[in-house]
Amino acid sequence: MEEIKGAIALVGYGLAAIGPGIGIGIVVGNAIQAMARQPEAAGMARTTMFLGIAFTEALALIGFVLFFIA
Amino acid sequence: MESVILAASECDVREEIICAPADVLELFFFEDALFSIGGFNFTRTVFLIFLAMFIVLGLLYFGLRKGEKVPSKFSAAIEALVTFVKEDIAIGIIGPDGVKYAPYLLAVFMFVIVGNLFEVTPLINFPITSRMAIPLFISLVTWVIFVIVGFKKNGIRYLTDLIWPKSVPVALRWLVGIIEFVSTFLLRPITLAVRLFANLVAGHLMLTLLLASGWIFVSNVGDIGARSLIGLPWFVFGLGIYLFEIVVAVLQAYIITLLSAVYVQTSVHPEH
Repeated sequence: MEEIKGAIALVGYGLAAIGPGIGIGIVVGNAIQAMARQPEAAGMARTTMFLGIAFTEALALIGFVLFFIA
Repeated sequence: MESVILAASECDVREEIICAPADVLELFFFEDALFSIGGFNFTRTVFLIFLAMFIVLGLLYFGLRKGEKVPSKFSAAIEALVTFVKEDIAIGIIGPDGVKYAPYLLAVFMFVIVGNLFEVTPLINFPITSRMAIPLFISLVTWVIFVIVGFKKNGIRYLTDLIWPKSVPVALRWLVGIIEFVSTFLLRPITLAVRLFANLVAGHLMLTLLLASGWIFVSNVGDIGARSLIGLPWFVFGLGIYLFEIVVAVLQAYIITLLSAVYVQTSVHPEH
């Protein structure tokens, strides 16, 4: 199994990136919608958007770290 | 140049299409000690940590010192930065009593932003936050602060509300309690550290591999002829990533500060 170890880790990282990719898309999309509907609340929506991105992105980054550990 | 680019020596420009060292971890470790004091090796990373500290101290000291009748542009910029952390992050997230935590948040923000921007600073090109020690230390300090604040503000109810939440149906309380306990006390510090660390590791890797590959292929033009054109797309792509990494460096400093504030906020007002 040793010679295909790198390839399996790459596939694992690719799988780990699917969910967060979709998640960040949803977060940012809805934040833009909120900003467009209520421009006066844009500052709050932006802060919350970055929070949401940070939480969602963590999963992809854990996958990225596991790629190096594996 | 060969001694500066760690990936250069092992690259076979006739066979490979991108230059990567056999073990990418060697891009993050500088074994050679500049000098050592009592068995403690003063490596390049340690030097950069102290450099970041002195840059932050210098920026804050010269930006905020009293005595200028008309603040210079530099002072105004530093003041805007401090006001941003104090008003928008500390007070905006934690509430009116968030002023107390503003110095800590400012320290984290300034140190991390300087450490991150080392990644794209010419001649330094190494983000100190891509070594796990620094993100982990910052997130552990945040962990200690929000746990102490939680117990101080709410007493033992901080823990009991967490593992036996009153707002969910009785049958589900133990499950929600376990999830809340693990996510608050274990996952929070880990993800806070890993987020910063992994972002900077990824950025440093991309920059090093792309720009080093571009340079090595183009500089070997006399040796390999038309094959050196492979280096051009790597170089252009690397420069694009370079601009992107400036944004990432600032954004990650903002996010770790923001999340530290949010974690303290959940301890101050646990009902939300």
